[in-house]
Order: sequence, then structure tokens, then C-alpha cells
Amino acid sequence: MANKPQIRTNSSAIMAMIADEDTITGFLLAGVGNVDLRRKTNYLIVDSKTTVKQIEEAFKEFTSREDIAIVLISQYVANMIRFLVDSYNKPIPAILEIPSKDHPYDPAHDSVLSRVKYLFSAESVAGDRR
Amino acid sequence: MVETALSASVFSVFFFCDSLTNSTDSKLILSRGKKMQTSEDGNQSSNEIAGADQNILNLLDYMDNYLILVDSVSSSVRQGWLELASARYSMGASRVNSSLFDLKSHYASTTLQVDNGGTDTELPCFTLCKWTSSDEAKLEEDQLLKNKSDSLGSEKRKAEESGSPVTANNHAEKERFKSLSMFGTLVSPKLRATQSTFETTLETLVEMSNLRASLLCAYDQVQKDRETD
Repeated sequence: MANKPQIRTNSSAIMAMIADEDTITGFLLAGVGNVDLRRKTNYLIVDSKTTVKQIEEAFKEFTSREDIAIVLISQYVANMIRFLVDSYNKPIPAILEIPSKDHPYDPAHDSVLSRVKYLFSAESVAGDRR
Repeated sequence: MVETALSASVFSVFFFCDSLTNSTDSKLILSRGKKMQTSEDGNQSSNEIAGADQNILNLLDYMDNYLILVDSVSSSVRQGWLELASARYSMGASRVNSSLFDLKSHYASTTLQVDNGGTDTELPCFTLCKWTSSDEAKLEEDQLLKNKSDSLGSEKRKAEESGSPVTANNHAEKERFKSLSMFGTLVSPKLRATQSTFETTLETLVEMSNLRASLLCAYDQVQKDRETD
């Protein structure tokens, strides 16, 4: 596994979100919103003006922070940075892909499920038998 | 239509993996069967096969449960969006939008407790702590930032939980009201319903996180079994 695990024991953490406005609004109502002393939030609202670079930077920042245990990301946003999401394999923070209003959840694109699918794919089994 | 597409996709993935599992199981069993013939200790090989098959079954079980939880999350967020749209309709779009979000420094009221469980097991365990004291949490966060600024390599953080006894329900209601208050003092009942729905969604998401950890662990096990063949 990782050389320097970010796994903590019995520590308090928060949730981060990269999603559309309505999803963020709902979760903020549920009390997960956090703004630190440097006025940095634990969420990024993705709209038509948000660039891929901003999403990448937010994802990298959230996955490197020690106080974040779960990162929620809309699947259509995850698809924009799919290479980054799929290359992430640490246990914490957990990356959860959720649907958005205009884009229903597709299990074939989920990074965890696609890994399992590859494991059982005919090609990978055939490759191992050679 | 969205529900039909989602159900169809869930069914198709599960069916696909189910059919692949049957063929994969037989391939794995066949490949291991050849080894059994040459192995001196037949009992040990059959135990290994049983263990490897059990790992595959565990993996598929976790995946199935994960898909069920995703379906549950999809339903509840969909309900949340509808309630939010109703609230926006009754209160007005200017009263329910992202420009009203509280950008002043504050700590999350709903947090997560992460438990590693020990050095032997690598599975993290997530627990949701709804509507915890924002003052205590703020104190902890300030200390965390101070420790960070003092030493970048610092690993130790103490979560000191002290606090005066407060009735849990009263406290939770206070925190809920605080969250709603960013949209005004008098809010639509639909907005409260949205809050409740997303609270439920959070619980399911935490379950998903725990299941994801188990799924990844089972995935690693199955990969190891394949590499040892």
C-alpha cells in the first residue's frame, strides 16, 4: 500500500464536495459546510464557467488535506478528470461518485467498479493464462 | 425514465459480472485444477482454491451491496433536488442560491469519525457525527492549523472532547436552525424537508464509504490470488 498512509486512528474529519449548486446546497443544509481561517471552503461549485483546471486543483487539494475523510464528486465532473480520479487509490479520503440532476449515475464509469470489471474482463483472464 | 435507465444499468452490470464470474470461476478452477494434479499436498491446494473462491464471492457481494447503496443515494438526492426546487419556487430564487452561503470562518457541524481499528487491519471505518458542537470543533480546527503552521511534519492531533452537557436534541435543533438561517429566518417547510433528506443521504454515503473500503480490500485479495497462480 502507500508508503505514508494518511490513515488516522479515531480522528475527526470532514467531507469535501465537488458538485453542482443544488447538490452543494443540500449538503450544506445538512451541516457539512466548512470554512477555515484562510477562508478556504471544503466544496467547489461546478457550473458552466468552471474550468477543468479548477476542478483538478480542487480535487488534488481535497485529496491531500489531512482533515478530509470523504470526497463527494458528481460523476459527470469526475468524468472530466477521469485520469486523476482513476489513478487515485488511497483508502482515505474515500472518493464517492454521485449522480447529478442532468447526468444519472453510470456504474460503468465508476472508478472502483470499473477496476473490478477489468479484473473479470475476458482479456485480463486470457492474458494471465498465456 | 431516469429510474428505468439506472435500474437497467445496475441490472446489466450485475448480470454482466454474474455471467463473467461463472466463466471466470470455471477458468480459475480449471487453471488451479491442473496445479492440483501436480501438487503433492492435495488438501492444501483445495483449501487455497476454497479461499480464493471465497474472496471472489466476497468481492461480488460487496459490489452488489455498493450498487444497491448507490441506487439508494440516487433516489434520495433526487428527492432532495425536488424539495429544494419546491423551496426555491415558494421562497424565490433570490432567497435560495449559492450567493447566500456563509463564507465566514466556521467549522462543519456534521463531521466524520475515522477509525483505523489497529495496525493489522487496513480497513478504515467511517462514522457520521451529526450536528456536533461547532464551538468545540472550531477549537480543534484552530489548534490543527496552529500545529500545521508550527511544524509541517506534525502527525499527532489530539481530539479533546470536553464539553458541558447539552441535551442532544436541543443542540441538534440549534445546529439545524443555524444551517437553515443562511437562507433567512423564516424558511419554507420544503427547505427543512430538503435538509432532512440530505441528512439521510449523508448516512447512506458513510455506509458507502465503509463498503468501498471493504470492496477495495477484497479486490486486493483477489488480485493477490491471481498473482500467486
